[in-house]
Amino acid sequence: MNYVKKPFLLFGLIALLTGACTKDEQNVAPTDDNEAITTATLTLTNKATPTDIVTATIENLNTTADFSKATLNLKVNTTYTGLVTLLNKTKTPTLDATQEIREKLNEHLFVYTPTPATLLTVTLTDRDTNPAPGPYPVGLTTEIKTGAAGSGKLKVVLRHQPTVKNGTATPGSSDLDTDFTVVVK
Amino acid sequence: MDDLRKEILLVVLLFSALSVSWAQSGPCHTVLKGRILGQDTHEPLVGATVYVRELKTGAVADSVGYFQISHLCSGKYIIDYQFVGYKTNSLSISVDADSSITIAPVQLVPDNQTLQEVVVTEHRSEAQQLLQTQVSLSGAALDQTRGQSLGESLKSLTGLYSIQTGPSISKPVIHGLYSNRIIILNNGIRQEDQQWGTEHAPQVDQFLASRLTVIKGAASIRYGSDAIGGVILVEPKAMPTLPGINGEINIVGATNGGLGVASAMLEGGFSKKLAGLSWRLQGTLKRSGYVKTPDYYLENTSYHENNVSGDLHYDNRKFGIELFYSQFDTKIGLFTGAQVGSLADLYTAISRPEPLAQPGFSYALDRPYQAVHHDLFKARAHVHFQKGGTLTATFAQQQNTRREYDYISFSGVGTPELSLKLVTQTADLTWEHAPIKSRNAGQWSGSAGFNGITQGNVRQYLFLIPNFRNYGAGLFAIERYAVGRLTVEGGLRYDYRWLRAYFLDEVSKQTYSKTHNWQNANGSLGAAYQLRPDLTLTANFSTAWRAPNVADLYSNGLHQSAVAYERGNPDLQPEQAYNGNLVLAYAGKRLSGEVGIYNNRIDNYIYLKPDSVPIVRQRGAFPSYTYSQVKATFRGIDATLTYKFTDRLSLTTKNSLLFAYNQTDHDYLVFIPPNRSDNNLRYDWSRWGKLSNLYVSLNGLYVSRQSRAPAVTTQQENGQVIFTGDFAPPPPAYFLVGAELGFLAQLGTHSLNVILSGTNLANVAYRDYLNRFRYFADEPGRSILLKLKLPLAFTKRS
Repeated sequence: MNYVKKPFLLFGLIALLTGACTKDEQNVAPTDDNEAITTATLTLTNKATPTDIVTATIENLNTTADFSKATLNLKVNTTYTGLVTLLNKTKTPTLDATQEIREKLNEHLFVYTPTPATLLTVTLTDRDTNPAPGPYPVGLTTEIKTGAAGSGKLKVVLRHQPTVKNGTATPGSSDLDTDFTVVVK
Repeated sequence: MDDLRKEILLVVLLFSALSVSWAQSGPCHTVLKGRILGQDTHEPLVGATVYVRELKTGAVADSVGYFQISHLCSGKYIIDYQFVGYKTNSLSISVDADSSITIAPVQLVPDNQTLQEVVVTEHRSEAQQLLQTQVSLSGAALDQTRGQSLGESLKSLTGLYSIQTGPSISKPVIHGLYSNRIIILNNGIRQEDQQWGTEHAPQVDQFLASRLTVIKGAASIRYGSDAIGGVILVEPKAMPTLPGINGEINIVGATNGGLGVASAMLEGGFSKKLAGLSWRLQGTLKRSGYVKTPDYYLENTSYHENNVSGDLHYDNRKFGIELFYSQFDTKIGLFTGAQVGSLADLYTAISRPEPLAQPGFSYALDRPYQAVHHDLFKARAHVHFQKGGTLTATFAQQQNTRREYDYISFSGVGTPELSLKLVTQTADLTWEHAPIKSRNAGQWSGSAGFNGITQGNVRQYLFLIPNFRNYGAGLFAIERYAVGRLTVEGGLRYDYRWLRAYFLDEVSKQTYSKTHNWQNANGSLGAAYQLRPDLTLTANFSTAWRAPNVADLYSNGLHQSAVAYERGNPDLQPEQAYNGNLVLAYAGKRLSGEVGIYNNRIDNYIYLKPDSVPIVRQRGAFPSYTYSQVKATFRGIDATLTYKFTDRLSLTTKNSLLFAYNQTDHDYLVFIPPNRSDNNLRYDWSRWGKLSNLYVSLNGLYVSRQSRAPAVTTQQENGQVIFTGDFAPPPPAYFLVGAELGFLAQLGTHSLNVILSGTNLANVAYRDYLNRFRYFADEPGRSILLKLKLPLAFTKRS
């Protein structure tokens, strides 16, 4: 029966060799998140004195967020123009997500919610190109008015609303949902 | 636990009451029994095969030569009796409405021109060698499920359920256990397709199967560790033994989703010098568009599937060789309405009665979707030794490539968010010894073997599970002793598993690894006793274990579709199962059926335990889960009963009851199938004009509300409402009505099998507890399906 035993040995050898020769798993690819937002920055420019620029940045949003530079120090009864910038630093070179959003205005909406509500008045100043009943606001640029002195938070939420954008925050899903600290004095 | 006992008692009483009050059966429930003997020795031919040509199904003679084929419809059949070294005997039988037919012993004549003779051993289901609770789907019953996925097809069996992710992904569940706790043997090879994921459906072409067999309960002795929930065997039809070319065409269409399926098979055998050589080519195409619930279309629920396979066999009475290759390729769209960015989005979606976007019908397939490709190559050889016994060696290589494309908002990339490539090699060696007679007319039969496996996984893009390499080796032996009306079986198995996972240090960019190894020995013991010619009792006790898999140990990432952050636990211990089954089978003149009870205790049962604090990422809060271990029990009853009112009218009821419990925390387990009762009233005509095997049937499926689920509780965390247990309570019970008409029409020399069926005919809007998208949308509404099967026989080339 020797002639039939050979194929079995061969099978065993093939199994062992193919198993032992592949080392692909030892080359570990780094984690790569296409839709990561690592950094969110708010840049507020005083309308009356354009040299008065306030910025606040949250880093590492996609993992454990770093809020150490996330405070906006604003003046009472002042109007600022606001600009939001989102970056994906996990990509090389760094990807500017706001640039990408600017190309897809009709699917996105930024929602700004101050707490307490009297702390700030936020008005969205840009418009998308959605057909009637649009266009709707987008929120990449804003006008932010401060009132009396106080402190609280400004929640920034980016809603992704493909085909369902209707000017409200309700439809779609969140790409970003984070809080900046606000001090008005 | 008192409640549980009361419920079981109630159910038992209910069944006894039903069995007394009912009166009789249906034409597709005939059981054919017989015995195969060698004409030369007048001894039973153990392992001889019985094959019903018309049904392409069969059975294998047991250790005393007896065989049994159930679920035969009325009609005439040609049956082939075959055994190694004997001439095939073909006899025709006529089945009428009797519930049981016992034919005279069939004697096979020894064949001396052995090299000319083609030996077919593949007719028999491997599982029939095991004395374990099993159910199978073949012949007409399998035809009724053509066009469905494997997970959906199996739901017509008691004790089987499926976990769904929308209408297109269905994952089989046996007695409440799924994923890595079930082994799927695709054409004899352990299917390895990243089955740890709840939204990863098995990549198996259902059209490859002529029989689907499910072993319920721990069955790891023969098939390897991990099978603590059960084994699903997808067994192809036997290879052709006669010269000539044959084929089969299957066409399935459904109104809901605009589903179209076409599957074709061509096969051939040879004569003279090439006798024993046979081949088969097979391919399937599937297309489906958006599925419709009673009120709206489910956006992006389209899917594609393209499968091909080829099989080449050479068999003679001494040895056989087989080469098999199959490729499975699918692209499955995920329901867009279930895409949420955070917990807040999820609650908004749950509170919505209907999805926000309700487009019209389309075959469009965009992100989010899964693209999965599975290749399988198998080489098998066996040798029959002159002194008896068979040695079989099998080698297989599988490559599973899974790419998941999420919904993207702003990045505009073309790459997937998750990519996994799993390459698996398996090598098996099995020795089946020749039956040994004992002095008291009993017989010993059994087998022993080795299973080896190695896998390598390579991931890319997002991290969900790490790269890894594993090795596994197992040794087993099973021995069966049959004497008179008693059969006893015992088995032992030893396994060793080794796993090394590779990680990248984000700071130093260096690769580092972590290694685990485990070993374990398990056993099983079973007995079957024929109490009366129409009554058999089978009892089985088995133990099994499952080493934690790489997802259990090292998952670390956001499962966007599950709205969960999952954390692995490197300290997990292997799961250990203790499984008992008791089955009473009865085949009376009018009443027939099977009632089984089971109790599966699993120590160190691994599950995702909700963490007390949610995790906050860029999109907001997510509930987080960590893999934990508890002692869990899965107990239940499976009951199938058929009653023939007349020779033509029958009622079949299939009931599956399951009670699962977390014994450590004294709580229920999440995602446990609710009780279900599937009832079918059927009327048959053996001939009606030019049509034969005509039947109409009416079906009612009742699925209860899962009342045994962890309580849904809410709490405030940093101004966010956090749910524990689940996000929403289980949906209400539902009742679905279906109907079916089937017949065989003669087209020249070919007979066309036609099945016209309707599902959810009342167009009921309902949700199913086991659908992961139940928070977002209803289940599919009414659908009308047409299934055509045309066997083709080409003239013999002489």
